[in-house]
Amino acid sequence: MRTVRLLLLALGATAATYGGWLLLPQLGATLPWLIAGPLLHDVLVAPLVGLVGLVLGRLVTDRPRRAWITAGLLASATLLLIAVPLLWRPPSAPPNPGLPDRNYPLGLAAGLTVVWAVVAVALVVGTVGRRVRDRRVSRP
Amino acid sequence: MNLEPRVPTPEDFPGPSHSPLVAARLGLWLGVAFGLCFVTGLLSHFIQHPPGWFTWPTRPVNLYRVTQGVHVLSGIAAVPLLLGKLWSVYPRLFVRPPLRQPIRLTAHVLERVSVLVLVCAAFFELVTGLFNVAQSYPWGFFFPTAHYAVAWLVVGALLLHVAVKLPVARAALRTPLRRQQDGGEAATTGRDGRDSSERRVFLRTSAGVAGVAVLATAGVTVPWLRRVSPLAWRSASGPQGVPINRTAAAARIAVPPDWRLEIIWPGGRGTLSLAELTALPQRTAELPIACVEGWSASASWTGVPVVQLLRRLGAPTDRPVRITSLETDGLYAASTLPAAHAGDPLTLLALRINGEELSPDHGYPCRLIAPSRPGVLQTKWVARLEVLR
Ligand code: HEM
Repeated sequence: MRTVRLLLLALGATAATYGGWLLLPQLGATLPWLIAGPLLHDVLVAPLVGLVGLVLGRLVTDRPRRAWITAGLLASATLLLIAVPLLWRPPSAPPNPGLPDRNYPLGLAAGLTVVWAVVAVALVVGTVGRRVRDRRVSRP
Repeated sequence: MNLEPRVPTPEDFPGPSHSPLVAARLGLWLGVAFGLCFVTGLLSHFIQHPPGWFTWPTRPVNLYRVTQGVHVLSGIAAVPLLLGKLWSVYPRLFVRPPLRQPIRLTAHVLERVSVLVLVCAAFFELVTGLFNVAQSYPWGFFFPTAHYAVAWLVVGALLLHVAVKLPVARAALRTPLRRQQDGGEAATTGRDGRDSSERRVFLRTSAGVAGVAVLATAGVTVPWLRRVSPLAWRSASGPQGVPINRTAAAARIAVPPDWRLEIIWPGGRGTLSLAELTALPQRTAELPIACVEGWSASASWTGVPVVQLLRRLGAPTDRPVRITSLETDGLYAASTLPAAHAGDPLTLLALRINGEELSPDHGYPCRLIAPSRPGVLQTKWVARLEVLR
């Protein structure tokens, strides 16, 4: 294991140094975009996720239900993130009339609808299933 | 409860998903996703800037379409996996440095720096990649070189990260998520049972959301998902059945009325008018346009195989060929066909697409279409072929 770790260490340091050297001419322009990810995540996204998690934990006490709602929220957040570059187009992009050839807001709305429809079905099926099980238990 | 505002410590996060059992598994999946991105990205880079030792096969004709599709889709899958992983290890952000022990402090700082580089670089690759597929460039750097350089940063920092975490990761991956109780039965109740069930739910949700993200976008390149993926950034339709990246107007193309295709080789030269090209034996082939942006679409192309054209003129057919466009500026005004592609009978100077004459936006009077190549190298509005030495 020691050898493997040392090897990984050497390979990793070499590859990262090479990447840094390649990036050097553009370091100034890329630096804000490099730092923005962890900065936004650590001071904004993660605390927000924690807060939503706490609130959701208070509002929904049933674990399977909470799991489905959490999954719905995470899927929605991911779809929203993926859609950002499609919805938000700063004019710095070169003019190119053939490009935005789909209705992205409609696509996003459709995706979110499907996600929440699936969550709703799962919640209903879960509730019905539990009722049936409860009845079986109470009527031996 | 202490309500004084203060910086949290790792102990303030009791959630069961904040555990190496979860972090190592998500890390492994992320490693696979980023690994696929790196390998396919490197291939795409070498195809566009081939070092001397590199060759890329012309078959299967869809090969580049598949490797680049894998590239963008594993990047998409990495978005929720990265967020899940960072949530799992978030408490570790608040580990206090061992201030009084200089050696351990040094190791701690070095590790922190390498992890910071890893997270910066990982976010950078995903964010810039996503903007690039939308052809939106809200920054001041040149995307291809920056994305390529930071890919090496990700891989280097990832290897360092694995080197540091290997003992923890191995122990975590060997520990089953379903805790065994003393009797050998899986714990289902009590604190242990709840924790392990919550961890499994967290991992399952992360994987599920990654699947949803892929499904929501895969239609850009997987034909049977075209109608399923709501966030595919490109549809498969466009003028004459294929979308267009660069229009004739954007490239400022004016085809001269006396346009003739020029063919040059060491020791010879020939020209052909469009009528003469049309009169040559034609071949029709089903070939994809596969963009570096992961988007792809197949069409039926009809034209003169480059190899037959060269043979007819008496030019050598076993060498690379430089293809130059009528486009005067722009990065993609010229491309070089490697010898393997130049000699392939499916490499066409296409005159027709899906049964119609090429429209100006598709490259009228003629364009290059070769198997297993990125779209940016399928030069449109061809003016000249030059057989290289
Ligand atoms: C792009 C990919 C990855 C990113 C961005 C990433 C990110 C992180 C971060 C930010 C931490 C917290 C660092 C700390 O302990 O202070 C961490 C911890 C960890 N990572 Fe990764 N990681 C990645 C891939 C991997 C891989 C491939 C593995 C190995 C299977 C792995 C295994 C671990 C383990 C075991 C921990 C420690 C968790 C703990 O001690 O609670 N990670 N990772």
